[in-house]
Amino acid sequence: MSEAQLVGSDAKRDCRVVVTPAPSLEIQIEASNQQLLEPGIRAVVKNTASVLGVSEAKIAIVDKGALDYVISGRVEAALRLTFPKLASAMSRSIPREASERNRIRRSRLYAPGNNPRLLIGLELHGADCVLVDLEDSVPLNEKQATRILVKHLLTVVEFPEVWVRINPLDTYGQDDLAEILRGRPHGICLPKAESSADITSLSKEIEKLESSYGIANGTTYIMPIIETAKGVLHAEEICAADERVVVVAFGAEDFTRDVGAKRTVESLLFAHSMIVAAAKTAGIQASDTVYSNLDDEKGLIAETKQARNLGFNGKGVINPRQIEPIHAVFSPSEQEVKEAQQIVAVAEKAEEHGLGAIAIEGKMIDKPVLARARQTLELATLVNKGGS
Amino acid sequence: MKNVLGREIPERLGERKLRLFEGAFATTPNGRKADRPQKVVKPGENKVLPSIEQAIEKTGLSDGMTISFHHSFRQGDRLVNQVIDTCARMGIKDLRIFPTALFPVHEPLIRHIENGVITRIEGSMNGPVGAFVSQGGKLKAPGVLRSHGGRWRAVEAGDVKIDVAFIAASQADPYGNANGINGKTPCGPISFSTVDAMYAQRTVVVTNDLAPYPVYPFEIQQGWTDYVVVVDEIGDPDSIVSGTLKITRSPTRLHIARVAADAVAASGYLKDGFNFQGGAGGMSLAATKFVGEEMAKGGVVAGFAMGGGTKLIVDMLHQGTVRTILDGQAFDLTAIESLRGDANHVLMDPGHYANYDSRGCSTYMLDAAFLGATEVDLDFNVNVNTHSDGLLLHGIGGHQDVASGSKMTVITIPTLRGRLPVIVDRVTTVTTPGEVIDVIVTERGIAVNPKREDLAERFQEAGLPVRTLEEIKEEADRFIQPPRKPVFGDEVIALIEWRDGTIIDAVRRVVGWE
Repeated sequence: MSEAQLVGSDAKRDCRVVVTPAPSLEIQIEASNQQLLEPGIRAVVKNTASVLGVSEAKIAIVDKGALDYVISGRVEAALRLTFPKLASAMSRSIPREASERNRIRRSRLYAPGNNPRLLIGLELHGADCVLVDLEDSVPLNEKQATRILVKHLLTVVEFPEVWVRINPLDTYGQDDLAEILRGRPHGICLPKAESSADITSLSKEIEKLESSYGIANGTTYIMPIIETAKGVLHAEEICAADERVVVVAFGAEDFTRDVGAKRTVESLLFAHSMIVAAAKTAGIQASDTVYSNLDDEKGLIAETKQARNLGFNGKGVINPRQIEPIHAVFSPSEQEVKEAQQIVAVAEKAEEHGLGAIAIEGKMIDKPVLARARQTLELATLVNKGGS
Repeated sequence: MKNVLGREIPERLGERKLRLFEGAFATTPNGRKADRPQKVVKPGENKVLPSIEQAIEKTGLSDGMTISFHHSFRQGDRLVNQVIDTCARMGIKDLRIFPTALFPVHEPLIRHIENGVITRIEGSMNGPVGAFVSQGGKLKAPGVLRSHGGRWRAVEAGDVKIDVAFIAASQADPYGNANGINGKTPCGPISFSTVDAMYAQRTVVVTNDLAPYPVYPFEIQQGWTDYVVVVDEIGDPDSIVSGTLKITRSPTRLHIARVAADAVAASGYLKDGFNFQGGAGGMSLAATKFVGEEMAKGGVVAGFAMGGGTKLIVDMLHQGTVRTILDGQAFDLTAIESLRGDANHVLMDPGHYANYDSRGCSTYMLDAAFLGATEVDLDFNVNVNTHSDGLLLHGIGGHQDVASGSKMTVITIPTLRGRLPVIVDRVTTVTTPGEVIDVIVTERGIAVNPKREDLAERFQEAGLPVRTLEEIKEEADRFIQPPRKPVFGDEVIALIEWRDGTIIDAVRRVVGWE
């Protein structure tokens, strides 16, 4: 047994939990609207302790408007820090099916896993995928509490597609995986991917856990993030390393730091093109880096257009308000869809009649033009199906 | 007695027999309006008095009388406490105060309730006074809460006879013309008090800036004013209006505002001459901003905007997106400045925009309005007065007046505030009945009153996430254990008047917990 353990904070929508060993289970609750909220909070705390099999602890909690899953996440973390031998609680999770490999992924919305206020409503902003972070945004001393909180989030909230960015496997990644796969995310995002070995060892880890958690084998996807020079040079093997890899992402901040470059269109061009070529060779999607200046919508749109023109399928998002402009860039316009429909219709007719070269308004429709038109229509279908 | 909403209402309040709420437009008054004593001021007479004490003496203010105030100085108000302190010093007791609203700055009144100087309050009690009164047994009679228009009507109808009206003005002349938009500490329109000035037995204008005759615009007119008192301080400029109101930054609230604006765009009302009510809350501001963008996009010019002057609305006026602002209260300095300079930024009083017993209200000309709520229930009833713990904490404002007038009334709410659900089976208190609420927008979807099939269809066509309130509630409730509910006793703390003077609900004292 260790000393008193504190988990959580006094921030809005969070709670602060302090656990100390005690002869019996003792629960102390402080909340605004105490009269209204005390019984509900007590029930959540009691339930969490009982799932973990803890009956000898004093649990003191100061609530700042935390939802049930935040409270159970905080309480479980504090209990497990106090009693390190406790096994992870396996609470009832909402059913979550594997997502479609090639679903629309125009936006991947980042949220730090340790900030309940930013986790609330994450599923409602209209992002194609949500990416909850355990890595860079989480300080070392909060790693454990954060992965437990994220597990609880995953067990109750439905997302169109939810990913968790774990720490590298040689730091905290293994522990992250063991915890959050219990919440059955759609995929795992691996930062600083540099070789096919990084991906295959992650895939093996996931496979083991899938088996023991009763998750259908091979249904948890992998999104490598390439953000180093080495990673860029190995993009091809990274993208082709494993069936689980359905999308590859680029991280410009770490990359420019790694190579000693200033972030410009030119300094990123090689990495950008390399990653797109590698992704397309492997038949997967490519997602561009985030745009960090929140107040510069014009800059965001310009950079997103560049990414689209290079062949990227989506872009990282650090604030919900970036979603709409990004979706607009990555969705085919009505005009584009109309043109594509026309091209395909003319081509199909020509084929029926065994005609060779065809043209619309004097413009040659050759094979690549036709293929691009079909891609546009596919994308339009995906947008209608999965996005907004 | 139960009213049409099933709310238990007492039969009387003192000698006043209470009438039950029957529906938003169910009653037709056929009496005469109240009057005030005739009085003639002859040439050369002086109205200026050196102190509040002298005004109290001159007006004959004494035990058991009713005195009134307005709240345009809000949290910066320095008059209410001064007057009551002076009354207390002069040994006056058993007063009924009739403010348009009280704020946390009026916490010192609690002492005067305890020592019997104040025994009745009819007006909004925002903050500590509301919490104190909610404990029960503090006042001789229940409080009465009225909307902007409801208060105006109550004075005109003689339901409330004001003995002395104290009207804080940021500028006045020695003859009693006054307003709130000029002077050293402007607060914006003070026309909440116009009806007090017209109907009080005695009207006292109090200012810290006595300017040469004539002061204009005359929101308060010389013909109504008995005395003018000059004091050092009328309000604290730092707490009267905000420098700039902040649009919400919460992603959830922005999302709600966005959907609310999309709903307006899809409603069919957003065309040239569109009239709307904004508001000053973070979410209303955001929704107003988004609607403004939709208008700019479609080249639509609004006829008028109301709901309080803000920089946002003023900018829209200057950009030509809005033709006219009708202004009953100003929320920031830009709005006050615009009231001084922009010919199309027009002062108006609650009698003009909100009075049920009148030949027409501006709110009836509204196409769309954004309003908030503390709670809503599955019948679309809205509560803005009490918290889920039963405490009386907020006034009605113009909620009832706007909701009953606007063609499309949109309530914007998050489904949860902290751990408290906002959508409930039955609201703690009904402020505004579901029959005048058209749309409720939450972060989990948009619910349309079954009466408005037409809107639901338009929203669906536009791809908006239309759902039932039940569905939205169920989804939100999954994230929280239900809170405990208060148990109410018999003692009535306050009556909630509908804008026609009938009683829509009674707030009772909390005696325990389920």
